[in-house]
Amino acid sequence: MQAFFDDLALMAPAVMFNISFAAASIPLGFVLAVFLALGKASSNPIINRLSRGYIYAFRGSPLFIQFFMFYSLALSLNVTVWKPMGWSGFVLHPLFMGPFVLVLNTAAYTAEIFYGALRAVPRGAIEAARAYGMSRSQQFRRVIWPNLIRLAWPAYTNEVVFLFHATAIVYFALPVIGGQRELMSTAQNLFETDYNAFLHFPVAALYFLAVSLVIFFIFGLIYQRLMRHLPSPPRLRYIPKWLR
Amino acid sequence: MFDDIAFWVSYLTNGKHLTWYASFQFTIIAALLGGALAVIFGLTGATLKNSRFWPLRMIGTVYSAIVRGVPDVLFFLFFPLAFEQGVEWFVASQVCTPEMIAAQSAPWPPCKEANWFLGTPEYLILASVSLGLVYGAFATNVIHGAMRSVPAGQLEAARAYGMSESQVLWRVHIRQMWVYALPGLSNVWMLIIKATSLLSLLQIADIVLWADRLGAPNFLPTVGLVHDDWRWRYYLVLFVFYILVTWLSERAFDAITRRVGRGILSEAHG
Repeated sequence: MQAFFDDLALMAPAVMFNISFAAASIPLGFVLAVFLALGKASSNPIINRLSRGYIYAFRGSPLFIQFFMFYSLALSLNVTVWKPMGWSGFVLHPLFMGPFVLVLNTAAYTAEIFYGALRAVPRGAIEAARAYGMSRSQQFRRVIWPNLIRLAWPAYTNEVVFLFHATAIVYFALPVIGGQRELMSTAQNLFETDYNAFLHFPVAALYFLAVSLVIFFIFGLIYQRLMRHLPSPPRLRYIPKWLR
Repeated sequence: MFDDIAFWVSYLTNGKHLTWYASFQFTIIAALLGGALAVIFGLTGATLKNSRFWPLRMIGTVYSAIVRGVPDVLFFLFFPLAFEQGVEWFVASQVCTPEMIAAQSAPWPPCKEANWFLGTPEYLILASVSLGLVYGAFATNVIHGAMRSVPAGQLEAARAYGMSESQVLWRVHIRQMWVYALPGLSNVWMLIIKATSLLSLLQIADIVLWADRLGAPNFLPTVGLVHDDWRWRYYLVLFVFYILVTWLSERAFDAITRRVGRGILSEAHG
């Protein structure tokens, strides 16, 4: 029992790394995803192709490979680019590289969700907005965006939880610097010292579960706030129907 | 020009590269076996979730819910290690004598005789089973939802023809369930493909590990520096490989969906 509490204490700083990775990449990924989703819906063939290709490539390949690819790319540019600029300590640090790749990855998944929601925005609402003489930016801000975010929110919640879970592989692909480790890497490290798989991994799982539930709770509150115009606001289900 | 081609041909067919090409088999085996097991676990989970017996229903519900709160990597690492330690613990309780335990200095296994060495084939099977377990939970949700989407009239008609409960289940219910489950199962399959990139975490010399080894700066005393850090090129190849596999799977699932949906009136197929 004492070992269990020791583990809880040992992993408390580690979970902060997971949370900060997720917290750093969610807002940036969100903004990038809005532009990508609009790009995928755009009628300009170049923008359309590029957004489609980007979303397809990043959804169709494993995050693990993306981590390796971008990290080794940054490494190979080190001597010619980063080092002369004095940036190598920053660019090659997992605290930059991790969120960077996570942003690129989650932007693609989120953009797909937003694109689906964009297509589901009721056509009549847009036509009505146009009939009122709204400009295109007004249409987007007043009609399309509020509809879109309400439609996308349950799936987006799921994506945020997936992103949080994806932070578990950051340090399997990137080097550990200065003993900074997130949950999975800490659990693996502890396992290699005393081979107690039945203690360390379940404790890490407990932390993941706890934070996931907190994310579901917070996003559920936001969902209720978004849906406050409805007579009986629909509750965000703990087990969403959507798959990544 | 000609020398260049000769160089590339001999470079890409050297022993290490051939080993790399051969290691694709691990990825493919893990994906196929993991996918098949995920469907089996999914069917089992959905049956448990539909069970009338309360404890079984709870097992099914917890199984399908817990995996969503915990990352797949964690299960992927935990299950093989836990299985190995479980077996070693059982063996140790049979063979270890107090003297053997006293002679053991490492924290695990209890005595040296209980050690179970796992090679690549064993880890590959364990990895596939854990892929099946993790994504079986996703498949449970998909299949559970699909079972409920089968029109009740179809089942009533089958019962009216005098079919027994198991006949209704196997000949009508599960037969028709696939149409509704396929879009979700195709999602699960994509997740499994992407999860196969994690095999190297279980000591399997898979495509990712070989890409890392082959791309590392290559120096031969006789030739000099063959190439500097080429890892990003190898990872780029894997990146493209996974995108191609995804694309092929999409096409395959489209074709299957169209074939399975023949003669069924629903919006489930296009």
